[in-house]
Amino acid sequence: MSPQTALIVTLIENALIGAVFLLYPRITRKGLLFGVYVGEETFDGETARAITRSWYRRMCAALAASVLLGAGLALWSSEPFAIVVPVNLLVVAFLGLYLWAYRRARALAPAGPPPAAVAPLVVTPGGGAVLPLLAIAVGLACGVFSLAHSWVHYPELPDSVPTHFGISGEPDAWRHKSLATVMMLPAMVLVMGVGLGGIAWFTAHAKRALRRSSRPHSLAAQLRFRAAMTRFLTVVALLATAMLTTLSINVVRVGLGRATGLGKGQMILTGVLLVYALGGTIYLALRYGQGGARLEAADAAAPLTNGLADNRNWVLGMFYVNRDDPSFLVERRFGLGYTINLGNPKAVVLFGLFLAAIIGLAIVGVVSN
Amino acid sequence: MSAELLLTVDGAADEPVYEQIARAIRAQIAVGALTPGTPLPSVRTLASDLGVNLNTVARAYRVLEEQGFVRIRDRAGAEVAAPRTAPDAASLRRLQAELREVLQRLRQAGVPPDEIRRLVDSVASPGARAS
Repeated sequence: MSPQTALIVTLIENALIGAVFLLYPRITRKGLLFGVYVGEETFDGETARAITRSWYRRMCAALAASVLLGAGLALWSSEPFAIVVPVNLLVVAFLGLYLWAYRRARALAPAGPPPAAVAPLVVTPGGGAVLPLLAIAVGLACGVFSLAHSWVHYPELPDSVPTHFGISGEPDAWRHKSLATVMMLPAMVLVMGVGLGGIAWFTAHAKRALRRSSRPHSLAAQLRFRAAMTRFLTVVALLATAMLTTLSINVVRVGLGRATGLGKGQMILTGVLLVYALGGTIYLALRYGQGGARLEAADAAAPLTNGLADNRNWVLGMFYVNRDDPSFLVERRFGLGYTINLGNPKAVVLFGLFLAAIIGLAIVGVVSN
Repeated sequence: MSAELLLTVDGAADEPVYEQIARAIRAQIAVGALTPGTPLPSVRTLASDLGVNLNTVARAYRVLEEQGFVRIRDRAGAEVAAPRTAPDAASLRRLQAELREVLQRLRQAGVPPDEIRRLVDSVASPGARAS
């Protein structure tokens, strides 16, 4: 990769990730200030605005520093650092600034018991849970197929197999053949395909947090947001499954000498997945806002209820812990999408197994090399 | 969706949460907002939305079933039950005793007999709505 290409990649990375971070305060549901429920009136007050302005100033400075660092590393240092280091530092800076703002927002939290919980008494349309089931089935089928494909061709593979590919699609690292080396990627197809489809399914059933109002905007907004998020995650799951499946097959083909590289199709599919994931995130944030915040504007002055309004159930404004609540996923207080209910043992075990499988496969891949 | 079809539960109130849920659903049925055959949210959905234990909602539904307000269908969830055409003797005796107590409390509270009669008529008459 040339310094110019590395520079372009690091600039695009920083711009996209920085843009998503900078959007967060603008898409948050009214009443929530950096992970703290402060009430709808206080949210519009001068103190809350000052915290937000200050956070923006610091975040813009962090983004500028990250861009400069990326440019410097791209032009004067080795390319992997330029692509990896600045973005990771940007994420660390984002977390640090979030905690800084969170501590200040805590001082604005209302005293006394949390607001009453509100739920619709009517059966609402489902969040499109059929498509995620399809994604799970496709992930399962592709995972089993990839495992079988690699297993069948394992004896034919030479002693050295490709384990890494450059941006051109040509292999740039080869390792000694072993079951772990060859089977890690198809196993990842199974884990990611089923896991991402599962996350989409749980999103379709995620908890709702209504506003206590005589008008139905809040529920309607959340239902639309949840359905859109479910569709988005389902497509991500299907694209990731397709990308990993073709990758698994192509790696075997390259190993067998039937192809010299991954091919343009593989690179295009990978590009489509990345663009869709990042572009879709920004689109959802701008179109719907977190939890449908942008759609419920007409009713945003009504008090928020349920899990989002109860500060007792949140640790650092990021981690929801409610042992009574049977929900698996709940709306995030700061950011886009949903987070796990750490008070639900079933949810913790399920998502823990998913994460452990990914980390375990990654460790197997590193150790086998 | 109208405002009266929102269920509100106050975790800080003295009244148990399951009773708050049951009372709210009874109130919606009494005013005709929930009509016979209307499906109710599943126990899991309602518990998740309110952030309360599954058993709490299940208990509320059981109470409502015992009182004849709700019909629980095994896998299809719960729905609002149609009023019975004739009460069984035991239920009738229990309800009469409860009604007598409520009427006495209304009189003790200073509600005029005409107003009490009007309240009773508004619930007892077919198609009536509470004011």
